[in-house]
Amino acid sequence: MNDIKKLQRKARGERPVFFEDPNVDKLISMIMGLAGEVAVLHDRSDTLERLLQTKGLVKQSEIDSFEPSIQVQGERASWRKNYLSEILRIIESELEGQKSGDREPYEKAVKRVETS
Amino acid sequence: MSAENQVHPQTKHAVMATPTHDEFSRQEFVRSYKNYLVQNVHSGNQTRYEKIIKPKFEKTHNRAPKDRFEVGKEMVHDPYYQMFSSLLRTSQEMMWSSCQVPVNRDLENLNEKIKIPKGTKTLGSLKLDTELQIPRYHTAVDIHCQPGGYHSEVTEDDASAGLVYDRAVHIYAMGQLGPYNDDIGASILLWLKNNHPTMAPRKILDMGCSVGHSTVPYAQAFPDAEVHGIDVAAPMLRYAHARAEELGEKVHFSQQNAEQTNFKSGTFDLIVSHILLHETSQKAIHNIVKECHRLLKPGGLMVHGETPPYKNMGPFDAFMLDWDTRNNNEPFWARSHEIDLEKLSKKGGFDPKNQFETLIPSALQVAEAKRSKVFQGGDFGGGGLWFIYGNMR
Repeated sequence: MNDIKKLQRKARGERPVFFEDPNVDKLISMIMGLAGEVAVLHDRSDTLERLLQTKGLVKQSEIDSFEPSIQVQGERASWRKNYLSEILRIIESELEGQKSGDREPYEKAVKRVETS
Repeated sequence: MSAENQVHPQTKHAVMATPTHDEFSRQEFVRSYKNYLVQNVHSGNQTRYEKIIKPKFEKTHNRAPKDRFEVGKEMVHDPYYQMFSSLLRTSQEMMWSSCQVPVNRDLENLNEKIKIPKGTKTLGSLKLDTELQIPRYHTAVDIHCQPGGYHSEVTEDDASAGLVYDRAVHIYAMGQLGPYNDDIGASILLWLKNNHPTMAPRKILDMGCSVGHSTVPYAQAFPDAEVHGIDVAAPMLRYAHARAEELGEKVHFSQQNAEQTNFKSGTFDLIVSHILLHETSQKAIHNIVKECHRLLKPGGLMVHGETPPYKNMGPFDAFMLDWDTRNNNEPFWARSHEIDLEKLSKKGGFDPKNQFETLIPSALQVAEAKRSKVFQGGDFGGGGLWFIYGNMR
């Protein structure tokens, strides 16, 4: 994906807000943007599979019936764990803060530093 | 593959932007996304309206909502309508973005391909007017959310707006305008063939032609005629000229405002426009009709293709067709759909006796059976019908 540098990105005019909280509108836009990127990835892997098949390197059925070995399963599980950890970072860090007792408000922290 | 997943691809030509693998997939996603909304989500609004919103209104007011405004006041609070609208607006923004990316990536080369060197022998012509004032109804808001509108130029001899538009229209209409995006022009031609079979116009003008999607079919249908296309936006016309030459059709493009052109009075036998009127102000619409009257020969014909007016629609349908006014950067859409066409003709100098307004079938008959047969926001061309308004001089 290349950066849009030259062309204007925002269409001049008021953008409508449909939900009571305008951030929900933005979230919808982000989710559909992500859905689009997943579709792009899907097409890309589909292209690869088709090319491999055309060139006689791999058959579609071989992919469908591919059984990951225990080691591969482990590697994939490990990849998914890191992947989920990135996506759910906000949940994890909140939990981490709770555990370590890191819930001090800024005002309190500032006061503590300034008066020490 | 089910019928609704059938793809009607755009025919490629040498001057269009070529997307990479992923860029193409991104565009295809938007088309499917829009298609999904039209097929599976849109109709839910009517269900919500009939099952929940209307009965609730009737209970409090002892009557049904009387117009699209009353429907709208209730609908905007409905979570289903909110989600539908947010999704549809997003699809429009993603559509432009997905078409901008390949153009932006290769803009220099693309503009170079589009530029026809001086002295090259061409079928048609291109005349730009750098002094032309871009009308306020065009600069105030970027119509249908195309960033920069039709007129913005980011580099010298820029055709980026046309490059983006050609591809975006195909996705916007989900292929329902045909492989050349020309269904509105083709449909008016079909109507002419059936209703004015002896008509053999020698000079034809297409007003607000943009990239000439609907202009080219007139050159194809009347090869001996002199076909002109005018628009206020230079980037569109640069692309239109290169595209028409590439398709082997003779069209003369010039940068002019349809409200006041520099053609001589009584020049044309046929003046057409395709979804132009709703992009202009009330004042401009009147000026355009007046200008048509001036430019037509006696016996000449003016035909404007549009989506249908609200007058024969129920309050709910009118509200849904009006979606674009507020939500798709079409601020002039509503008023243009409520204009008194008889008065408009009369004010323009035409005899209202020779006025006509009717729904015409889409020339793209192939997909006819699969269409939704309703007019709804976000389903451009999906009705399988166009509305025309016009007058004989």
